[in-house]
Amino acid sequence: MSSARPRLAPETPKMVTAWDTATGRTVYMTPSREWSVNIADGAVLVGAAADDALAFAASDEGRATDPYVMQVSPLGEIDGREIIRETIRAVGPTNHPMFGKQAGNP
Amino acid sequence: MPLIKGGAPVSCSRRFFADEETPPDPNDAIVSLGRLVAAGGDVFRSVRLMPADDPLALAPHIRRLDLIEIAFPGFRDGRGFSAAQLLRRRLGYTGELRAVGQVLRDQVFFMARSGFDAFLIDDPHAEEIVAAALSEFTVAYQSAADDTRTIWERRWNARPAHTRRDDR
Amino acid sequence: MYRYDEFDEALVRERAAQFRGQVARRLSGALKEDAFKPLRLMNGVYLQLHAYMLRVAIPYGQLDPAKLRQLAMIADRYDKGYGHFTTRQNIQYNWIRLADMPDVLDALADVEMHAIQTSGNCIRNVTSDHLAGAAADEIEDPRPWCEIIRQWSTLHPEFSFLPRKFKIAVTAAETDRAAVRVHDIGLHIRRNGDGEIGFEVIVGGGQGRTPHVGVTIRDWIAKAELLSYLEAIMRVYNRFGRRDNKYKARIKILVNELGPEAFAEAVDTEYAAQGVHEAVLLPQGEIDRITEYFASPDLPERPARSVTFEAARAADPALDRWARVNLRRHRTPGYTSAYISLKSQGEAPGDMTGDQMRVAADIAEQFGFGDIRVAHEQDLVLPHLAIDDLPEVHRRLRDAGLAASNAGLASDLIACPGLDYCNLSNARSISVGNAIQAVFEDPEFEERVGPLHINISGCINACGHHHVGHIGVLGVDKKGEEYYQITFGGRADEKAAIGDIIGPALKGDDVAPALRRVIAAYLDLRKGPGEKFIDAYTRLGPAPFKEALYAVD
Repeated sequence: MSSARPRLAPETPKMVTAWDTATGRTVYMTPSREWSVNIADGAVLVGAAADDALAFAASDEGRATDPYVMQVSPLGEIDGREIIRETIRAVGPTNHPMFGKQAGNP
Repeated sequence: MPLIKGGAPVSCSRRFFADEETPPDPNDAIVSLGRLVAAGGDVFRSVRLMPADDPLALAPHIRRLDLIEIAFPGFRDGRGFSAAQLLRRRLGYTGELRAVGQVLRDQVFFMARSGFDAFLIDDPHAEEIVAAALSEFTVAYQSAADDTRTIWERRWNARPAHTRRDDR
Repeated sequence: MYRYDEFDEALVRERAAQFRGQVARRLSGALKEDAFKPLRLMNGVYLQLHAYMLRVAIPYGQLDPAKLRQLAMIADRYDKGYGHFTTRQNIQYNWIRLADMPDVLDALADVEMHAIQTSGNCIRNVTSDHLAGAAADEIEDPRPWCEIIRQWSTLHPEFSFLPRKFKIAVTAAETDRAAVRVHDIGLHIRRNGDGEIGFEVIVGGGQGRTPHVGVTIRDWIAKAELLSYLEAIMRVYNRFGRRDNKYKARIKILVNELGPEAFAEAVDTEYAAQGVHEAVLLPQGEIDRITEYFASPDLPERPARSVTFEAARAADPALDRWARVNLRRHRTPGYTSAYISLKSQGEAPGDMTGDQMRVAADIAEQFGFGDIRVAHEQDLVLPHLAIDDLPEVHRRLRDAGLAASNAGLASDLIACPGLDYCNLSNARSISVGNAIQAVFEDPEFEERVGPLHINISGCINACGHHHVGHIGVLGVDKKGEEYYQITFGGRADEKAAIGDIIGPALKGDDVAPALRRVIAAYLDLRKGPGEKFIDAYTRLGPAPFKEALYAVD
């Protein structure tokens, strides 16, 4: 992993996120274990299901790099102490909104 | 584990003996620096240096040695490159200098330039790996422990007068 | 400017080909990220928050129009139309796909550029004075030695896997514009008692979480000995620098743990032990060959005072202000050096669009003898301009949004990319930087405040050089909220000092108002317009500034 992320309790809802290996774009793991650039497609997981998904992600190196789990609400909204970082990852840099996903860029 | 020397796999009858092991024949034993020094000048002829070992401690023994292994614990620990340069250039060591441990494809070029002539690599394709790694660069700026003619030498020996690319 | 010959070119091409192979192995799955990471880092490729980032080396900040146009092409074709100039005089692209990296490296090689050693635990891009070869106060041009060090350090067989990254800077001017005292090795070109030119060698400076001002371990060493002496320093560091803790692995920690005298002695012992055959062989002809490339451009004689320019500035207050703030004295009468500020209000400091790069390249080609530099303050510099040409140069810069008149003033602040881009960052730098810039939106006010360096880092790695800002701003994370710690009194020049931490960190929104109060206090307290902020702080100490920082509006 590129840098240490906060530890999350098993019951905390979470999402598996990573970087697309070929493009470097932020991606989220979907319920069917595909990868999507759209956080709305990400699976909300708890407990052993989250551990399993992360283990799968770690084995999916050709597609996704440096996976980790991030905290989300039960509805899949970004939550917890890394809310600013994860919002920027999900949406794009706050100083260049025209370059981020908020402007419809991939 | 393949040992590549001179571009080809070779076999070696010597092996490393930990300090508590007793080798049947000291001529076939690779030993630690501490053991070599403690045994005095004329017992062993092969030694393994760990990253923190002082290569200059081999000075009194260097004439007798014909195999020195330098251990690389991982990509990040580059002390073995300095050890190799000191052995080759400061102590004038001419025997086999073997890289052991994590001998990684992308460091082999730097190892060869630092004076290593043998690579113990845990990979069935070791021969191809070494060949590929050593063919990636045909030029080098600095003088080192190998016999590469440096760019600086080539510029000044190869050309009667220097010419700029834009003059050509 | 240095031009590659077939050997320089071969090395860069071979390196690009090697990386193409490594990327292919990664994309095919043959290389895992753990094994690929150190390889990509040695080619300047990071994985940041949104994408891969490529850091391109601009050795000693030297560009020419062809190089800058190629950087523009890369920005447009492979990125989102812009690039970010850094405090190491490099450029970073934030959005390049890994699959495109080999093509980008080939495009760089086409203009004699590369990304070699812009990351990793090796000798990084050599930096220097952005006014080198033009400044009135330098002993000689430091760039030939920068180029020699670049060549010597490129793929160095012994020093490519050091305990930690290693940065070398060179200056030849009494006024240090290259921050040599906060580098792992700083080289200050000086004369000895006999008038011979050589180097003062400064070791162990650096920023990061344990900032240190470097110490001089040799007052003077001859040019012929420099590279061999550098090898002695590097070998002592490579063998004895700490590898057990990444935060204690820089040479500054070794120098301080041994003590500067013992460290210098270890280097001298190693140096003395080098046999003749171990010396770095750099033929005098090679030194001469490289030096020749940096010969001053042929500057046609011009009147020291330009009637055209004087008339134009009298008629145009914007030109007048730009000329007053952004020009620096050239050694040749009738000429000047000009800053192209990349710090317009509200823009990301150091960012430049591809279109702007092309404008700057055209200006340099037409008026600037093809010479362009990157300053470590994240601005560009045109080192050789005829004063007669300034009205036209200014007009073109203004049309391209490049005529901010703030070089060396408060809004010309240094900022790292921060949490908007960087994977290591704790807090945003750009937004707080923009808020601070807004305090100085009125150019009259900003000029009245005078020279002031505000440096912002988004984390303790200090890429924004906050330790050596007259005012430093360091982003910290407090339970998920962005806070900023303020330091005063740092400086990166010949009187280098590490700033003092003033007190508890401030919330992001509170930083700009607090600094507004500090500036008001400074204007009240200073002896007169001639006393800079840093000098007033040195004279008065932190107390009155601290009081202003934490006062309630």
